[in-house]
Amino acid sequence: MKAGCRLSVAEDVLLIPESVLRLQGPARSIVKACDGTRTMSQIVAVLLEAFPNADAAKVSAETAAFLGSLAERGVIEFV
Amino acid sequence: MSSSQLKALIAEITHRCPLHCVYCSNPLEMQRVETELSTAQWTRIIQEAAALGCWHLHLTGGEPLARQDTEQLVRAGRDAGLYVNLITSGLGLTRERLQNLVAAGLDHLQLSFQDSEEAEANVFAGAKSHNYKLRVAEWIREHRLAFTVNLVIHRENVDRLEQLIVFAERLRADKLEIANVQYYGWAFQNRARLLPTLEQVRASLTVIEDARKRLAGKMRIEHVLPDYYAKYPKPCMGGWGRGLMLIDPAGRAMPCHAAAVIPGLVFPNASDLSLRSIWEDSDAFQRFRGEAWMQEPCRSCERREIDFGGCRCQALMIAGDAAATDPVCSLSPARKLVEEAIEMAVATGKSNNWVYRIGPLGLY
Repeated sequence: MKAGCRLSVAEDVLLIPESVLRLQGPARSIVKACDGTRTMSQIVAVLLEAFPNADAAKVSAETAAFLGSLAERGVIEFV
Repeated sequence: MSSSQLKALIAEITHRCPLHCVYCSNPLEMQRVETELSTAQWTRIIQEAAALGCWHLHLTGGEPLARQDTEQLVRAGRDAGLYVNLITSGLGLTRERLQNLVAAGLDHLQLSFQDSEEAEANVFAGAKSHNYKLRVAEWIREHRLAFTVNLVIHRENVDRLEQLIVFAERLRADKLEIANVQYYGWAFQNRARLLPTLEQVRASLTVIEDARKRLAGKMRIEHVLPDYYAKYPKPCMGGWGRGLMLIDPAGRAMPCHAAAVIPGLVFPNASDLSLRSIWEDSDAFQRFRGEAWMQEPCRSCERREIDFGGCRCQALMIAGDAAATDPVCSLSPARKLVEEAIEMAVATGKSNNWVYRIGPLGLY
């Protein structure tokens, strides 16, 4: 997570400079899994643990797409 | 009203400022230091805003660092769960004070620059301030802090926009806000000299588009079309009383920065009343909320939920009626007044002297 971007106390939105991003469904779990140490596949593993009935390939693709859009928005960076 | 939810509190904690910018957005009549709220009063207001579900706290002024308790107010915001943004000129900041602000939980800092060139910047600011700001920018990058540079553009610097963008890039800003002057407060006094020409505005759009491509992933660029040249008005403040509340140094709660120009509006004071009652029940916040107040052409316009009729203060200042359609709108019957202002500005430009709030001591 980049400087100036963090989860709200209620964990329902991502607080970013002068704006907010509303987190829906698994988005919250994905954001919480971004701790600066986990790799993309580790984040997917965390999600699959939380949603055991989900399709692994689909979760993997959607997580990558979601994180890609956050990176583009300047909210996270891949380290 | 379900569509209105307080999202951001703009805390104009003082009107004191070491700069005297020719486009200052503060009202013509400023609150004096004796009327300023105390730390305890601001802390209560901040807590009440958080209880209303507010997300962002913007500490601004004047120069918010002219107060000695800015750190305490940052801390109060963080303790209440708010995202805290400091909007500053950088004057009043030292390396040590910045450290204290960061330690208090500051999330984001917006630093203003008046130009990339020292001589010009100091003329627009009405004070020798540019070189000090450069040092402040260095200190900011010593911290893990989101950093936005705000550059105000107008007729006299927009031709150097490319240079201004490179300047912000060298300051290592995360985000650059390119702000066209908005003609409220003191800026209205200098409108004839500040208003850019149509050619300048067009050229600036190309420069911004190219820079966005070049800087993608490196520095975000935010820019809003200057509304005098737009086809439709801006959704001012995201709609009256829909998400934002501004509190002035003396505690007056307003739906926007300039609302004091509207005659007949009585602003409730946040030191006497709860934020909830002000937000939900006060006449000032109800007056232009929703659509009931709208006249034609807004009333039946399909864009009425997109731009909410534009800006009430601009309607008052140009069309003489705060409930009129924002005169910058191409559908407004008063649009010709905006055209006339542009024509006059284009014709006279530099022949108008800058009007300063206070004489720019030591500059001339």
